[in-house]
Amino acid sequence: MDPITLAIHATPAFVASAVEFVEATTIVLAVGVTRGWRAPLFGTLAATATLAIIIATLGVAIVTIVPELLLKGVVGSLLLLFGLRWLRKAVLRFAGIVAVHDEELIYQREVAELRAQGLKRKEFDWVGFLVAYKAVLLEGTEVAFIVIAFGAAGGTALTAATVGAIAAGFFVVALGLALKQPLTMVPENWLKFGVGAMLCSFGVFWFAEALGMEWPGDALSIPLIVLTFLVASWLAVRMLRALLPEGARVEARNV
Amino acid sequence: MFRSIWSTLAGLLIEDGQLAIGALIALAITWGIAYSGGDQGRDVSGWLLLVLVLALVVANLYRAGVNVRARVSSARR
Repeated sequence: MDPITLAIHATPAFVASAVEFVEATTIVLAVGVTRGWRAPLFGTLAATATLAIIIATLGVAIVTIVPELLLKGVVGSLLLLFGLRWLRKAVLRFAGIVAVHDEELIYQREVAELRAQGLKRKEFDWVGFLVAYKAVLLEGTEVAFIVIAFGAAGGTALTAATVGAIAAGFFVVALGLALKQPLTMVPENWLKFGVGAMLCSFGVFWFAEALGMEWPGDALSIPLIVLTFLVASWLAVRMLRALLPEGARVEARNV
Repeated sequence: MFRSIWSTLAGLLIEDGQLAIGALIALAITWGIAYSGGDQGRDVSGWLLLVLVLALVVANLYRAGVNVRARVSSARR
């Protein structure tokens, strides 16, 4: 696999998956710190096994059975729809209209809820198991979607996207295990902004390819499209900040 | 899991409904031009989709900003 293909398909999958893994890690850490590690680790393992089954059956079937152009068309449309939603929310966050995603706050809320539920020392902690299982399964399903979306071209692209997601998983889990606290140093809001732009860019790229368009430089066009989305989004942030003065932006979150 | 799928779908179709509908229209316009415009239509389809989507995002956010400003003004009164 040449380095350019690897960079184009593995990097977006790495970044997008890292965001999802950070969210799952926050929940698992909250469960582990409050209720002990046995149940959340079993929950995480069970969710990982469930995901492996889903990807091995559904994911592989989709990528191998569905014709490439149809897959690119469908995945491109879905990426655009979901990417636009991410990008819109990211722009509203950066403009100060929607509260920024705060991993520390989510962690503290989760810890408080879990403590409130109590713990019976002699029994297996099913609450801890289920909370961890659900968090890992939900965020993992999004990672699976990201891998299939960024690897929609099949072959090397799919391999690169898978490698990117697995690398993100190892990186985030290792960081979580080493620190044993929410990963607040990960610039999640910035990553989400970038991921929104990347999802939209891949959506435009795949959909046009499905229609038979040949992009100049093939996959090398993707960074240019991403840059266009980022510039337009940043201009939109500035436009919104100009529309709403500082005080009004704070009030807007409470309206 | 089903609740999460439902909330994602509801968010996409109800909260951001106009954005989703706009995106579907942009995809349909691009598809129509690519198929009716021959080789030339296909060659510009990606750029056309990019322009349509960017215009859609900016218009949607501008509208969101105007709506928030109106809500803040009425809340102040």
